[in-house]
Amino acid sequence: MSAATARQVMSLAPSDPPETHGDPSLGQKVLIRDVDFFYGAFQALKNISMPLHDRRVTAFIGPSGCGKSTLLRVLNRIYELYPGQRASGEVIVDGENILSSGMDLNLLRARIGMVFQKPTPFPMSIYDNIAFGIRLYERLPHHELDDRVESALRRAALWDEVKDKLRQSGLGLSGGQQQRLCIARAIAVRPEILLLDEPASALDPISTQRIEELIAELKADYCIAIVTHNMQQAARSSDFTAFMYLGELIEFDETERIFTRPKQKHTEDYITGRFG
Amino acid sequence: MAIYARRRLTNALVMALAMAATGFGLLWLVLVLSTLLWNGVAAITPALFTQTTPPPGSTGGLLNAIFGSVVMTLIATLIGTPTGILAGTFLAEYSRGSRFGEVVRFINDILLSAPSIIVGLFVYQLMVVRMGHFSAWAGAVALAIIVVPVVVRTTEDMLNLVPNTLREAASALGSPQWKVIVMVSYRAAIQGMVTGVMLAVARIAGETAPLLFTALNNQFWSTNLNAPMANLPVVIFQFAMSPYADWQVLAWGGALLITITVLFLNIGARALASWSTFKQ
Amino acid sequence: MSADIALPRVAPANSRRHAPGDFIFRHLTFLFALLVLLILGGVIVALVDGAVPALRHFGISFLYTDVWNPVTEKFGALAPIYGTLVTSAIAMVVGIPVAFGVAMFITEICPIWLKRPLATMIELLAAIPSIIYGIWGLFVFAPFVQQYIQPAIISSLGQIPGVGALFAGPPLGIGVLTAGFILAIMVLPFISSIMRDVFETAPPMLKESAYGLGATRTEVVLHVVLPYTRIGVVGGIMLGLGRALGETMAVTFVIGNAHRISASILQPGTTISASLANEFTEAVGDLYLSSLIALGLILFVITFIVLAFAKLMLLRLQKRAGG
Repeated sequence: MSAATARQVMSLAPSDPPETHGDPSLGQKVLIRDVDFFYGAFQALKNISMPLHDRRVTAFIGPSGCGKSTLLRVLNRIYELYPGQRASGEVIVDGENILSSGMDLNLLRARIGMVFQKPTPFPMSIYDNIAFGIRLYERLPHHELDDRVESALRRAALWDEVKDKLRQSGLGLSGGQQQRLCIARAIAVRPEILLLDEPASALDPISTQRIEELIAELKADYCIAIVTHNMQQAARSSDFTAFMYLGELIEFDETERIFTRPKQKHTEDYITGRFG
Repeated sequence: MAIYARRRLTNALVMALAMAATGFGLLWLVLVLSTLLWNGVAAITPALFTQTTPPPGSTGGLLNAIFGSVVMTLIATLIGTPTGILAGTFLAEYSRGSRFGEVVRFINDILLSAPSIIVGLFVYQLMVVRMGHFSAWAGAVALAIIVVPVVVRTTEDMLNLVPNTLREAASALGSPQWKVIVMVSYRAAIQGMVTGVMLAVARIAGETAPLLFTALNNQFWSTNLNAPMANLPVVIFQFAMSPYADWQVLAWGGALLITITVLFLNIGARALASWSTFKQ
Repeated sequence: MSADIALPRVAPANSRRHAPGDFIFRHLTFLFALLVLLILGGVIVALVDGAVPALRHFGISFLYTDVWNPVTEKFGALAPIYGTLVTSAIAMVVGIPVAFGVAMFITEICPIWLKRPLATMIELLAAIPSIIYGIWGLFVFAPFVQQYIQPAIISSLGQIPGVGALFAGPPLGIGVLTAGFILAIMVLPFISSIMRDVFETAPPMLKESAYGLGATRTEVVLHVVLPYTRIGVVGGIMLGLGRALGETMAVTFVIGNAHRISASILQPGTTISASLANEFTEAVGDLYLSSLIALGLILFVITFIVLAFAKLMLLRLQKRAGG
C-alpha cells in the first residue's frame, strides 16, 4: 500500500525529538490548510492551518465551543453524516487532499480511527466488536481473524481482562474497559491516524490513567490527535498542543513550550486558569 | 479490494430497495386517498348535509348520520376526557414508581391497542342486553371507552414533561399538592393535554366496529339518545356493502367527510403540540 | 417579632384547611385510575359470561371445529381463527419488509428537508380510519385484483404442483389474499412510524463510531442500529400484529365472509372480527349469539397475549434508554 510506504518515508523514529514541526518535509502526517467549517450559517472554524506529526500526539485544547471537536470531526469527514455541515480548505493526508469531493469516505475512515467521548460498544460480543471493522475490508481465515482480534485487544491492554469472555456482550464491560474496547476496535482496522475525542471524559481517574498510558504506547505507531478539556491531560500525554478559541487557532506549538512559555497572552490566560 | 466492491454493491442495492419500499408504500396510500377524493367529491352536494338517509333507489343525504356521529362523539369526549385526565394525573403525580401505577399503565397501553370490536361486544353485554335495545347512549359509552386510554396516556406523558422544579417551587410557597397539580402542572401541560383529546376525538370519529352492536343505525332523523341512532361509519358500512348505486355514492361521500375530519384533527393536534413549550 | 409568633399559628391552620383537598383529589384520581383496570376486568367478565353457553355446549371442540351452521345450530371457531391468523400473516409478510424499508429511508437516507414531511405523512396515514381502507378495497382494489392480478397468479403460481393449491380457483377479487394485502397497506404506516421512532433511539455517537470504521449505511443499519433497537423493533411489529389481528373494517369488506377453510388463499374466508361485524346484529338464538361472543373472547385472548408481549418488549427498550 502506498500509504504504508509513505509512512515509512515520512515518519520519524519514535525516539526522535519532536523539534521538526516547522519543517514540512519531515514527520507531517496531516497538513491542515485554511480550513473553514460551517454548521449551516454558523462558522465554527476560521481559517485553521496546522500540521499533525506522525508518531506524535497532538492535543486540541480550548474552552467549550471553541471548535476543537469540530476540527477533529473534519479529519475523517464524519460531519458529512449531517446535512448542513460543510468544510472548505484542504486537509492533506500523505499528499492527498481528503476534503476533495472524489474521496471515498468509507475507505478514508478505514484509514483513520476514531474514539468518542463516551464508550460506544456495538450491541454484539466483545469478539465481534473487534472483528466488525476487520471483516469490512478483509476475508480472513478463522485463526488469522482470531490473531488479529487478540493483538488488537493486547495492544489496547484489554486482553487479559476479557480473554475468557470474548463471546459475551461488550455492553457488560465497565466504562473504562468499554472505552479500551473501542480503542481496540479502532486499531484493529490498522489505521494510520487515531482521532480521540475526549476519550477519558466519562471515565474515573484510574481508567483515565490507563487510557493515558495506552495513548503513550500507541504513539509509537500512529499519528494521534486528541481533544481534551483537561489541561493536565494535554500536558501529560501530548507532544504538540493547539490552543483554540472561538473557532480560531490561537497558538500551535510543542506542548512543553505552550505550557511553559506561550507566545500569546490568551493562551497563557487559559492554561493558567485565568479564564475558562 | 473485491470485498469492498461487493460491499458497495450491497449497499447500493439495499439503498435502492429502501427507496423502492418507500415509493411502494406511498403509492398505495396515494391511490387510496386519490380514489377517495375522486369518488367522494362527486358525492358532496348540498343534499348530503340537508337530507336524511334515503331508502334504496331514491336520493337523500347523510344529515341524520352526521348528527348522530357528532352527538355520540361529543358525549364520548365529555365522558372520556375527565376520566382519562384524572387517571393520567394519578399515574403521573401520585404513583411514580408504585406497583399499582405500573399495572394501570400496562393495562392502559393494552386497552390503547385492543381491537375496538371487543369494546363493542363489552358495551353490548353491559348496556344493550340490560336495557333491552340498542341506543345512542351505548354507542357513546363504547366510544368513551376508546377515548379514555388515549387521554390517560397523553396526560401522563405531558405531566411527566413538566419540570419537577416547577412543582417544588409551588410547594415551597406552601401550596397544597392538589393546588400545585391543578394550578401549575395542568397549566404547564395544557397544550399537550388538549392535543391528546384531539387525537382521541380523531380516533373515534372514524370508529365503526364498536358502534355496530351499540348504536346500531337508524334510517330516520332521531334525537332520542335512548334509541338507535344513525352514524357515519355504520351508514358507510351498510351503504357500501349494498348493491344500490345511490347508497354507494353516499358511502363515498361519508368516507370523505370522515377522512377530512380525522386529518384536520390530527394536523391541528400536531400544530398545537409543536407550539408546546415543552417540546424539548 | 409579631410575624415570628404569628407564623406557627398560621401554618397548622393552613395545612388543616388544605388536607381534605389533598385527600379528596388524591383519592379521586385513584378511583379513575382504578376505573381503567375495571374496564379491562369488565371486558373479560362480559366476554366470558357471554361465551359460557356456547363453550359449555360445544366444549373444547369449539376451538377446532370448522362447522358454522346457524340452521342446525352447530358452531365451531376454526375457520374464523384460521382466517384471522392467515390474513394477519400475509399482512406481516408484506408489511414488515416494506415498513422496514420506509423507516430506513426516513432515518438514514432521505435528505433532511424531506424527513419531517415524510414522517408526518406516514403518521397521518396511520390515523386514517380503517373503514376507508375497507371501502377502497371493496370498490377499487378487489375489482383490480380480480381482473389483473388473480388471473396472473392462477396461471403462473397456481400451476406449480403442490404449492399451486394455495393459488387455485376462480378469480373472485375478494378473498383471503386481498384482505391480507389491504391489512398490510393499513398496518404499514403504523409499523414504519414505530420503527422510525425506535431507530431514532440509536445514539448518534454509536452510529458515528460504525461510520468511523468505514462501514456503509447498510452495514450501520443492519449490524449496529438494528441489533441495538432489536427489542423495540420486535415490539413495534407485535403492536402492528395486534392491530392486524383485531382489525375489523379493513377486512370485512373484502374477505367474502365464508365460514370455510380453503386451501387456496385466493378464495373467500372469514376472520373473527369480520364474522362479528357481519353476523352479530342478525344472529338469532342464544347459542348463535353466544358462539359469536366466544369468538370475541378468543380474539381478545390472542390480541391480549400479542399486545402484552409487545408492551414488555417496548418497556425493556425504554428502561435501557432511560438507564
